[in-house]
Amino acid sequence: MAIPLKYNLRNLFVRKVSTTMTVLSIGLVVAVFVALMALGSGIEKTFTSSGDPRNLIVLRKSSQVEGNSAVTKAEFQIVRYLPGIEPAPHGAPLISPEVIVLLNIARRDGTGMSNVTVRGVGQDAFALRPYLRIVRGRVFRPGFREMIVSNNVANRFAGLRLDGRVRFGKGDWNIVGLFEAGGTSFDSEIWTDNDELVNEFDRQGYSSILIRSVDPKAQLELIKQIGADRRMQLEALSEREYYNKQTLAGAGIKALATLMTLFMGVGACFAAMNTMYAAVSNRTREIGTLRALGFSRGSILLSFLIEAVLLALVGGGIGSLLALSVNGISTGSANFVTFTEVTYNFRVTFPLVVSALALSGFLGVLGGFFPARAAAKKPIIDALRSA
Amino acid sequence: MKYWKIIWRNVTRNRRRTLLTILSIAFSLLLVTFLRTLVITLGQPNPAPASVRRVAVRRLTSLQERMPESYRQKLERVPHVQLVTAIDWFGGIYREPSNFFANFALDHDRIFDIFPEITLNEGAKQAWMSQRTAAICGAKLAERFGWKVGDRITLLGSIYPVDLDFTLVGIYTNVADERSFYFRRDYLEEMLGRPGKAGVWYLLCDSADSVPAVISTVDAMFRNTDAETLSETERAFEATFTQMIGNVKGLVLSISSVVVFMILLITGNTMAMNIRERSHEIAVLKSLGFQNESLVGMLLGESTIIAMSGGLIGVLGAKLLFMTVDLSELSMGFIRSFQVELPTIALGLTIALLVGLASGAFPALSVTRLTVSDGLRRIG
Repeated sequence: MAIPLKYNLRNLFVRKVSTTMTVLSIGLVVAVFVALMALGSGIEKTFTSSGDPRNLIVLRKSSQVEGNSAVTKAEFQIVRYLPGIEPAPHGAPLISPEVIVLLNIARRDGTGMSNVTVRGVGQDAFALRPYLRIVRGRVFRPGFREMIVSNNVANRFAGLRLDGRVRFGKGDWNIVGLFEAGGTSFDSEIWTDNDELVNEFDRQGYSSILIRSVDPKAQLELIKQIGADRRMQLEALSEREYYNKQTLAGAGIKALATLMTLFMGVGACFAAMNTMYAAVSNRTREIGTLRALGFSRGSILLSFLIEAVLLALVGGGIGSLLALSVNGISTGSANFVTFTEVTYNFRVTFPLVVSALALSGFLGVLGGFFPARAAAKKPIIDALRSA
Repeated sequence: MKYWKIIWRNVTRNRRRTLLTILSIAFSLLLVTFLRTLVITLGQPNPAPASVRRVAVRRLTSLQERMPESYRQKLERVPHVQLVTAIDWFGGIYREPSNFFANFALDHDRIFDIFPEITLNEGAKQAWMSQRTAAICGAKLAERFGWKVGDRITLLGSIYPVDLDFTLVGIYTNVADERSFYFRRDYLEEMLGRPGKAGVWYLLCDSADSVPAVISTVDAMFRNTDAETLSETERAFEATFTQMIGNVKGLVLSISSVVVFMILLITGNTMAMNIRERSHEIAVLKSLGFQNESLVGMLLGESTIIAMSGGLIGVLGAKLLFMTVDLSELSMGFIRSFQVELPTIALGLTIALLVGLASGAFPALSVTRLTVSDGLRRIG
């Protein structure tokens, strides 16, 4: 036999001030948790969504990231004619030799300088990444010192705007277009022609090669072949796997989120405990009456526990709503794996909200258990007699 | 404080509630102290005295691009520049990429003059000068991998296509950093086939006052060349790495204000509950002739004692915690040293004091509004 939920709900309304304050303190914990986790998962999402499973990226052995890698033009010629690469509409293999140069530039928000990835690409680069599209302006023409900039980068860095000029390498470059790349890490980049960039920075060759394999079987074969070829010091891995390795960039912020939640959670949990203890001691007579009516100790315990959880869940709901206001806000930070800025959005996802509610429920159980047990343990006679 | 006794009685009346409130304030203020220290620590300058005389010169484009070796002679001729060394970030991997530490190649015959804070015994210095494959590392790095002088260490090149074998000839101590690995640049150049490029130039100026002039001379000298430079004080150069993280200050400030608001709510709630349960008593006091001012004073005294106790525990707890947990080690030296300093402690206690006073404000208002007849009539 259980005590109706309505009883608990009404009790929450009796002590409005206490309830509100407790609900709000739990709400704040949840809001901080959700906002920080949304930041962490925003970074992770950027990398997990980057990379096409059909694409292979070819790097110099043990270079880890494109920016450190170097591929000679001779090596490019060998890779280009390996079997298993999908043909492009123009008949030749679908392949883009790419070169990475970092551009150190100031952020608009005054928080200092950071490195933006400038990617020199081959003509197949757009076919290999079909989700990238020009939203304003046009594509760069090779040989004219032109570049295209992602919308996110243009918004985040000073002096990068459509039709603007930027000092880079041996002189100024023109920005002729803005692009978007579907929330992938290419949304943090600037693109231009590969050979032009190679010349500008006196490089001996490219940084990496991107190829499309005809099918998964050919892909495995290509990985094996490239790794085993003694003429080259290269290795190939799937583009998806390459970007997945960088999700580590979100680990720091997630650790911070856990730390905050832990400490703030303890504080809020104690506050809930205080409120519930006060509720129990205020209702001593009521508890006695309920017991006299035949409600068991178990029902009393459950009833108070439910009340605490309700209190916490309302807090969790409010906290999630508060945190929802940051959803979609664009920000950025350094990815210390590649030493470059990655731009991303806060992402308040459904599973995140569910885990936030679970967190608040847990805080409720923690804060409510001891007071509820104290309520259940009260002897009937004493409880009825108390003032 | 003639009401001291009654305040103390009120604080200890509901011990469990008081304790829980104190602990929630303590946990929250520990967090605020941690965050504040983090912001301060990330902006900490190099403590070595010679640091203010050093200038770092890199390519304007970014650190990734390198400068011609011929810049050395030009830099050496700049007025007020005493010494020049090239420094290259090798980015070598020791066994696993997760074993990350900073490793640099630099001019072996200048290092101890430009960085006098790197202290090494004479024997090690001689070995460093005479062996091309010599390397030295900081005491903390040696401790991390259990290295001893004489050990053979191989670093795999991630940026450069060479793997290098070293002999560890010495373990240095340095107030600024003991987690780096230095080796001779002539060895790297030889292995690479002498490309004649340098990543960063470090200049030692004759005094801190000549630094601004040196910076503008150097950048003007290479303007409109194929490799334009960006010169900065060592302090500014080091700060660029923490700046890359982004808006840490903003993040920390917003989280801290949320935390402070939360403790305000928690303490306020406790005080509101206390007052509500005591309305009968307060009415009696009022009927005995106690003025509102005294009653409010007692109330604020109580909330301040609670908040300050929480504050003290939290702030001192943070101090103790970070004396035992070495965040510098955990961050692999990115955080130079993590210590809770006096101004941070003062800040934490000030917050506690303000929270104590503010949290008593609303309950105090209800005390002044309470009429004797209402108070006596009200139950619970």
